[in-house]
Amino acid sequence: MTGSPAAQHQLDLVPDALLAGRAADGDTAAFEALARRHGPLMRATARRLTGSLADADDVVQETLVQAWKQMDTLREPAAVKGWLLRILGSRSIDHLRKRRNHVDLDHVESPRDDSPRTGTQDPENNAVNASRVEALKAALAALPEEQRRCWVLKEFNDQSYEEIALTLNISPASVRGRLARARITLARTMEEWR
Amino acid sequence: MTEFLEAANTSPVGGSAAVSTALAEELLGLVQAVEGVHSVYPAQPLWQSIAGAALAAVTGEKLPLIGLVETGDTLAVKVRIGVSASHPAPAVTRKAAGAIRRHLLPRAAVVEISVVQLGS
Amino acid sequence: MNTPNDTLDCGHSLADLSAYLDTGQIDDPAHLERCPECQAALASLRNLSQLGGDLLRSDVADAGSGNDDWMQSILDNLRLELRPGRSIPLQAEHPDDTLWESEGAVSALIRSVADALPGTAAGKCRLQGEVTIMGAPITVEVEVAVVYGHPMEERAAALRDELARTLATQTELNIQTINITVTDVLEPPAPVQPTDTPATTDPLNTEDQP
Repeated sequence: MTGSPAAQHQLDLVPDALLAGRAADGDTAAFEALARRHGPLMRATARRLTGSLADADDVVQETLVQAWKQMDTLREPAAVKGWLLRILGSRSIDHLRKRRNHVDLDHVESPRDDSPRTGTQDPENNAVNASRVEALKAALAALPEEQRRCWVLKEFNDQSYEEIALTLNISPASVRGRLARARITLARTMEEWR
Repeated sequence: MTEFLEAANTSPVGGSAAVSTALAEELLGLVQAVEGVHSVYPAQPLWQSIAGAALAAVTGEKLPLIGLVETGDTLAVKVRIGVSASHPAPAVTRKAAGAIRRHLLPRAAVVEISVVQLGS
Repeated sequence: MNTPNDTLDCGHSLADLSAYLDTGQIDDPAHLERCPECQAALASLRNLSQLGGDLLRSDVADAGSGNDDWMQSILDNLRLELRPGRSIPLQAEHPDDTLWESEGAVSALIRSVADALPGTAAGKCRLQGEVTIMGAPITVEVEVAVVYGHPMEERAAALRDELARTLATQTELNIQTINITVTDVLEPPAPVQPTDTPATTDPLNTEDQP
């Protein structure tokens, strides 16, 4: 468990399905290898869903606690990545809900982001892709919350409408509608920006 | 801690949270000073207090590391420790329990120590 | 996508096109093929999707590696909580003292011993027997994976000795038997492999390690 570097590297060679099977049997080293492997994507997703890096780390931790406790309910070990991401989505939503019970709404309603808002200034000079990504961050942050969640769960985690619907506790038809609205707004913003 | 107290259906030490907190701090220092103890972990496991942890994050409160429950004349002390590889954990644990018991004299104590991490 | 509302002049809604992007299904595929308006809107949505992929890559890069401090601190927190298992009693000096070691802590110790041996990684690990009763006979079952090329018999014998020594020092379990089973042979890493920890570029061949 102290995880010598050598042991970590050895587990890095083992595919997801095998690690998940072992983790379900109580092998913490295997579970940690999974956490390390998928941690960056989980953190990135939680950051866009919650709007802050500090919240993202809390959510990743809660997700891993829950995943460990429910490891034996994972039916398809090879699908462990999607399973982790679905837990992460639910925990992110719960996290915001809990926060909202404690702190002033204003602090969490609009996602905080430390990246600069490039907005629409100086389009000629910003033709490089990096600044388009920055512009997308800003446009995403400006979306209504439910739309942003649908978009992130779809584009970052490739979840189906049904999966997103379960996570957000809305109907698949609502997911379809909100996702479309999010895309239309984002696409328009990005075209104006260009 | 709150859950711990409520679950045991008892009152905090000395009837006031402040006294309880001060004593818990004293005992914490005592346990940390025992050779071979490398960490003291929250007496209440993390997942049982996730809601509490979220609240603590907002209010800036720290979760107590030493659990204290008073039942009648007896003080129950609950501690979770990690012991380093260079020391035999059973002896270290007994030493920590003895230190707590002596510190609380003449008061009667029920001491429970769990080693939750070994050898790192 | 400069349409002011959500329905194109051709009568198709942008929501249908958005769903088409995900499902590949739409009511009137023949129309989609030849309608320049639908094609333009679809191209715009695809550009956005591509840019979304760029954002994802950028965010994942920003999130850092799973071997960084942020993940380490999360895992440190988790280690305590990961299935603590049964409580294994320790002898106490006072009748009112209750002293334990968690089964999880003992399992973790066993794994760390196995992981520290070059060329082996611990898998499942079980304490068979009534660990909650002091002095009850216990059998330790450890499964290990051995990296290809390492002598299995020798590794297992060395691990058995080391485990017996460590468990005698760190626990009061009455260990009768230590069974070690090699369950997997791991492929060594490809010779040229990008690694984010330069200090351990060849971690699997540390034969000269103490």
